[in-house]
Amino acid sequence: MKRVVSVSLGSSKRDHRVQVELLGEQFEISRLGMDGDFDKALAKLKELDGRVDAIGLGGIDVYVYAGKKKYAFRDGLKLMEAVKKTPVVDGSGLKNTLERETVKYLLKETGLIKKGTRVLMVSAVDRFGMAEAFVEAECDVTFGDLIFAAGIPYPIKTLEELEEIADKLLPEMTKLPFHMLYPTGKKQESRDEEKAKKYAQYYRDAEIIAGDFHFIKRYMPDTLNGQIIITNTTTTSDVELLKEKGATKLVTTTPVYDGRSFGTNVIEGVMVAILGKPWEQINPEDYLGLIKKLSFQPRIIEMAS
Amino acid sequence: MATHKEITNSLLAFQEGYNKNKKLKIMNRDWNRVILIKATDVESEHTLKLEDGELSVKEGAPEDPDLVVTSDSETLADLFYGDITPTEPYMNGTLVLKGSEDDIVRLDFISLMIWGE
Repeated sequence: MKRVVSVSLGSSKRDHRVQVELLGEQFEISRLGMDGDFDKALAKLKELDGRVDAIGLGGIDVYVYAGKKKYAFRDGLKLMEAVKKTPVVDGSGLKNTLERETVKYLLKETGLIKKGTRVLMVSAVDRFGMAEAFVEAECDVTFGDLIFAAGIPYPIKTLEELEEIADKLLPEMTKLPFHMLYPTGKKQESRDEEKAKKYAQYYRDAEIIAGDFHFIKRYMPDTLNGQIIITNTTTTSDVELLKEKGATKLVTTTPVYDGRSFGTNVIEGVMVAILGKPWEQINPEDYLGLIKKLSFQPRIIEMAS
Repeated sequence: MATHKEITNSLLAFQEGYNKNKKLKIMNRDWNRVILIKATDVESEHTLKLEDGELSVKEGAPEDPDLVVTSDSETLADLFYGDITPTEPYMNGTLVLKGSEDDIVRLDFISLMIWGE
């Protein structure tokens, strides 16, 4: 049996373990939350190194993208570099393929995305493939990177502006402690009441809300008005929450095992374990081929009563 | 070591850079803050005030600042002239920022939007 473990800076309340068969092989996939404790995450990674088939880094980005430029978070690199033997991934390779394909699938195979659909991407630099796919589909996209990561109520409306701002900010901001820019640990369990009120209009104006679920959840207003949510890492209680708030559909980009859609880092870890190649040698075509072989498709959950 | 006058001039250069950037003024319309800039090695205190997107600079300390920026005079002058970014001195403890984490990120953001590549 192959073992893939996701070490997450997020809450341990979301820990999960499943066994699945993929392409005739048994996999044990688990997620271990470190409750925002960076040193504990480092120690766990060192402990797992060489003892499992692949490791995913969750609750933190190592690499983010804007246009052709790639930026690396210092904290993310520290975690990645602690692992010497086992392949370690942050999900960014898969986001660029699987999530791009998700938008294309929804455009082609469903009526959920059309030209002019109003989309709020809570953060785009961590899902640049998806951001580009929405723009290619001629959606009316609002990129919320400044709003939700930096608390600046400035909606970015084009990829060009996103790239320009990223180029000014990210070379330096990626050196800050990750928790200053992203909810980790206990922050993942609570809503930021003030900002949820302040930014409610961005949610309500959108027909689709897409991106990182921790951002979506932390700043979600009291009620939604029929939005479609495109994300992953949702649990059954998250699905209930979205239903209560008034979302009409949930589209998860990663496969659901045991009621739970795992993060892209876990699924990328599984793919790396299947491919058996060093991560640096894996290209988007490898992932696309494997996505097809595994018949991975977005899962659409109807919520309207 | 920089003088009080040099710090004043660096803050005025910072203000000029800010005022030239229309986008930055729009981005900060919601952020009304009083910031104390204090040197540790010379007698030097300044007040930065952001109100409705406009930035003003005054010599002397404010009564009740929302954010306090403390460092040696050289680092402060380099920082506000844009010769260095705030991230490194903040991370190595040369630059001390007292305030909410959101406000610290916002000040870093303003500085990078003015002087960033």
